[in-house]
Amino acid sequence: MSERLEVRVVKRLPAFTLDVAWSAGAGVAVLFGPSGAGKTLTLQCLAGLLRPDAGRIVVDGRVLFDSSSAVDVRPQARRVGYVFQGYALFPHLSVAENVGFGLRDRPRAERIARTTEVLERLGVADLGGRSPRELSGGQRQRVALGRALATDPALLLLDEPLSALDAPLRRALRDELRAILRDWRTAAVVVTHDFTEAYRLADRIVVYDAGRVVQAAPRSELLWQPASESVARIMGIRNVLHGTVVKATPDRIQLRWRGQLLEAVNSPSRSYLPAPDSSIAFFVRPEYVRLIRKDRGLADQRHHMNLMEGTVVGEEDFGTTWSLHIRLDAPGPPAQGDHDVEVEVPHLVYEILEIDRDRRWQFSIHRGSIHVLPA
Amino acid sequence: MSADAFSALSLSLRVAVLATAINAAVGIPLAYVLARRRFRGRAVVDLLVTLPLVLPPTVTGYYLIVLLGRRGWLGAPLYEATGWTIAFTWYAAVIAATVMALPLLVRTARAAIESVDRDLEKAAYTLGRSEWRTALEVTLPLARNGILAGLVLAFARALGEFGATLMLAGNIPGRTTTVPLAIYTAVQTGESGAALALVGILTGLSCVVLVAAGRLGARAT
Repeated sequence: MSERLEVRVVKRLPAFTLDVAWSAGAGVAVLFGPSGAGKTLTLQCLAGLLRPDAGRIVVDGRVLFDSSSAVDVRPQARRVGYVFQGYALFPHLSVAENVGFGLRDRPRAERIARTTEVLERLGVADLGGRSPRELSGGQRQRVALGRALATDPALLLLDEPLSALDAPLRRALRDELRAILRDWRTAAVVVTHDFTEAYRLADRIVVYDAGRVVQAAPRSELLWQPASESVARIMGIRNVLHGTVVKATPDRIQLRWRGQLLEAVNSPSRSYLPAPDSSIAFFVRPEYVRLIRKDRGLADQRHHMNLMEGTVVGEEDFGTTWSLHIRLDAPGPPAQGDHDVEVEVPHLVYEILEIDRDRRWQFSIHRGSIHVLPA
Repeated sequence: MSADAFSALSLSLRVAVLATAINAAVGIPLAYVLARRRFRGRAVVDLLVTLPLVLPPTVTGYYLIVLLGRRGWLGAPLYEATGWTIAFTWYAAVIAATVMALPLLVRTARAAIESVDRDLEKAAYTLGRSEWRTALEVTLPLARNGILAGLVLAFARALGEFGATLMLAGNIPGRTTTVPLAIYTAVQTGESGAALALVGILTGLSCVVLVAAGRLGARAT
């Protein structure tokens, strides 16, 4: 895959050091990580608004910054579009003037034609004469995108593009933004701290933590193969647990956890062979834990892998699903505070199984659903 | 109205208008630079501009004499070269009023410029605007009401300046006697009618100015 974007940036600030290197091909790269991890700083370096102490930034073969050869293209000449958090529309200009702002050096007729074209393509052609103050959140987002895209930038940067919006609107606009980015085919870098947003928008996700890149991968790879426990935690993965290795082969890993012997599939793409008796982190997605129905006879070890039994000690209603906190019968302190495993079941299942009355459950986890995390 | 009172009023207006114009030319760029640039000596510049606000006007006037008087640092070379000195001319009244009014404009305009969202300026840079064009097209238009309010305050200050003007320009009837000086003179010589008339005019003007500044301030928010 040819890389369209190569980024290597070192920037030392009084209480923080940004030291990152990553690359991305065509499409959307999402910088994902907690607040204060250095994502916005990276965008500012890409746009030329902040000068790195060292590094190299190349977009489509064009060197925008290179500390070793003293190249530092001014932000005005980078051809990098920037959509700011909160959009930063010029409040004293109309929507059309905002969109045409970057076209000042073109002939008037061309400027007007391009502005009209952009507004039409984004479905806000009738808003040209309005003030940004009169727009809804979604319209503002489109105008900000239009302003940045009107100049045909080589790279589009979006800083938390949805954070200024209310929750119901966020979801709708996330998909709209995704469609616009696909439609314009501009290479884009999006900053977000929301994993769902990152996953929906990205082709490639770059995970930031404390000024460093902890993983850069296509989005599906990241979802199922976080590179480490810390990446899993940043992603907000639940049921991150610790066990002891019993035996590891290229296809299977056996481990002991809370007195249970569990079997997991070793990742075929990058098998992980820890020594016996070493500690190992793994995760189980709460929606991949199977509760065993009691009206179908006794559970059979041969049909149900990784079979365990415990008591529901707490539950949370998420609206469409219930999260059950289950404590195993095994002795010793539970793995996660008052419980060992979180299990998520749809409301319908919760009602059919009458979980509100019946608190004792057997459950099983398929070995393909136990994901080991390299240390 | 007496000829003296009329000449005082006409002089005061001339001085205030000119001082406000100089304030606009010097103070707005100064406010922008203080708000947006980090440079060596910034704190010193800030201090020098603000000092007339807290010093007694006579002290500021004294410094102006030290600087511009016939034997002053700048005044002496000027006098030797041309035989002319600014002291005790109406230009001196303009300079005194300018220096006394500058902190009011710079502080007000600076606060207005600082309150402009920096992301708007950064957006303009990424859209190809130089810093200079961005200041003219984005920053200053958005700080407009604060800057206008500062100019109104500067005008009012220039109109009412007394102490520094007296020090540098003196109180020469028909030449450097502005309205505040004329009021002082009238009270000293017992012309209570003339004093009252000028006091009334100055009070009225100040009220108009304050209302105007208040409206601008309200629109700025």
